[in-house]
Amino acid sequence: MIEQLITEGLAIGACYGLFGVAVAIIYKTSDVINFGQGEMGMISTFVTYHILAQYGLPFWLAFVLTMLFAVLLGMFIEFFFMRPAKDPTVLGLIIITLGAEMLLMGLAGWKWGAEQKDFTFPLSVQKVHEPIPGLILNEWSIGVFALTALIMVLLFLFFRYSNLGIAMRATQQNQNAARIMGIKVERVFSFTWGLSSLIGAVAAMFFAARSVLDPNFMMEPFMRAFAAAVLGGLTSIPGVVVGGLLLGLIENFFGYLWPVWKPIVAFVVIIIILTIRPSGLFARHYVKKV
Amino acid sequence: MKGTRSTVFWLMALCVALLLPVQGHAGAPGFDKKEIRIAQWGPQTGPAAPWGSVARGSDLIFKMVNEEGGIHGRKIKYFIRDDQYNPAQTKAVVKELVERRGIFAFVGGVGAACGMAVKDYLAENKVVWVGPSTAINEYVFPVSPYLFGIYPLYDDEASVLAKYVVENLKAQKIGFFYQNDSYGKSGLEGCKKRLATYNMSLVEEISVEPGEKDLSSQMLRLKNSGAEVVFLWVNPTSATIALKTCATIGFKPQWVSSNTLSDFPLMNTITGGLWEGVITGGFGVPPDSDHPLIVKYREAAKKYAPEERCGTFYLAGVLFAEPLIDALQRVGPDLSTEAFLDALNTTKDYQGIGPKITWTPEVHQGTDSIQIQQCGPKGSYILLQDWVQNDLATWK
Repeated sequence: MIEQLITEGLAIGACYGLFGVAVAIIYKTSDVINFGQGEMGMISTFVTYHILAQYGLPFWLAFVLTMLFAVLLGMFIEFFFMRPAKDPTVLGLIIITLGAEMLLMGLAGWKWGAEQKDFTFPLSVQKVHEPIPGLILNEWSIGVFALTALIMVLLFLFFRYSNLGIAMRATQQNQNAARIMGIKVERVFSFTWGLSSLIGAVAAMFFAARSVLDPNFMMEPFMRAFAAAVLGGLTSIPGVVVGGLLLGLIENFFGYLWPVWKPIVAFVVIIIILTIRPSGLFARHYVKKV
Repeated sequence: MKGTRSTVFWLMALCVALLLPVQGHAGAPGFDKKEIRIAQWGPQTGPAAPWGSVARGSDLIFKMVNEEGGIHGRKIKYFIRDDQYNPAQTKAVVKELVERRGIFAFVGGVGAACGMAVKDYLAENKVVWVGPSTAINEYVFPVSPYLFGIYPLYDDEASVLAKYVVENLKAQKIGFFYQNDSYGKSGLEGCKKRLATYNMSLVEEISVEPGEKDLSSQMLRLKNSGAEVVFLWVNPTSATIALKTCATIGFKPQWVSSNTLSDFPLMNTITGGLWEGVITGGFGVPPDSDHPLIVKYREAAKKYAPEERCGTFYLAGVLFAEPLIDALQRVGPDLSTEAFLDALNTTKDYQGIGPKITWTPEVHQGTDSIQIQQCGPKGSYILLQDWVQNDLATWK
């Protein structure tokens, strides 16, 4: 029983962590929390659903096409929603993301309707494997673990060694200095939104496979992923994933012992940790100098 | 300057004119020699839009009535308003309908909170409300003279289902997984009361918040309890996650659920086929049955609303409107709110595609009966038990 609690907790936690990474990437570059992140993932998942249902393409092809769409969607929102904002404050930009969230949700309701749908996903939650006696993993969990690890490694290499990754970090630290150094800050923002949208779309597909697909299905996972990101530290990508894993474990253990308290226990823990470490468990606390 | 002042004055005058009450049918009794105005709110957009088919289902039966000449020469004029499952919106649309359109009666109406937001307003304005699309005790206890309930109460339903699983399935270990609100808690109470008559108690009872997406710890707890039968008193999304999680952890109890999850084609699709075998209560004859009225409605739906899926909730809209039409027919040509109330209060054992309905001036909960249905292959309906009353109902 305890093994299943751990594996299930880690699996959903990894999914929170993966989605939290999508939130953290935009935050790392622009200090903006994108409240439309969940709905961006939702729209991308609906696009996969649409491709599968309408055109009957194989899943891998639908997945690739959706990833292209997700990148486009992220860049589109940055270009047409965020960039036109005149003399934007961080709060103003956050409000714009809220507007984008409502727009995307309305769009999905109009196009695909509010009735719940089954999202066909190749990694089944019903097919289980037992790699080590006692350790039961379903295909969905194996997929989440593998993909989260892969994305983590790729992001680490990208931010550490690629010019674009370094430019993104520089932009977050000081936009003006980055400009002076020849970095095209606007392009960095567009790329950031595209990358974040892509990672968010992958995580959203995993969430849809575990529950149902409807225009609201990402609201609650977004809140949990955001909480996980805050717990781990919004500026530390490994921290966000570890925050997600911790959240999943805390919820599952407390949920087993005291089911009534499950929905709030994680948030209580977060409040306690943030009181002690305001930047989260793994992020370095820094103050921007004016 | 003078020009600006004049513009401001006239603009203000226009605003005041627009804000003045518009003379519509305000104060009208809701009918005239040619028509009877009936209305329903329901979520046509937003998160609860799947339940919007209830309001459109009522439209079907009103169209059928009108094609047959109406009721004593009067056609039914039917209004649907989208409240997006938002009580504030419900209040706004109901006020608009009552004060500007002059509504004789409301039928159906999805959402407990939405209904509670307008219950007193409708009574104050003497507008009759027949068949709210949800079951909450506050609608019918104490009796509200203008409100007539059809939907079986959740505690009655859970009680009947618990009796079935103990006596027919010989279940000894029963668990209960419920939504943490009045819907879930009513079901839990009904089940507990029934089990107490067999000197039994639940082996596990676990609540869930409606939005939770990870139910693994709750399902592991139910598995650990050894429950052979688990009651699911939750929404469709939570039910889907519960069944998918249980498939992962290797827990296969007999699931039993409320009529709110009795749209088998939908549930079977969204659970990826896991809904097959689930037992639920049913407040209407299954949509795929060969009951003469269901056949008639299915044919009419092909004609009037070919785009609609003639499922459980669409037909629920028909079901809620049937006794209203019956009472209007019994009133005769001399229609008035009082005469209509008299007819409703003397409804006895009326049966359309739902259970037998009886209303008296003292009791406005029309029934405590449900059918027991099971999801068969491809979302088909298997009738396990025909209409059965709750012999433990205390309100009768």
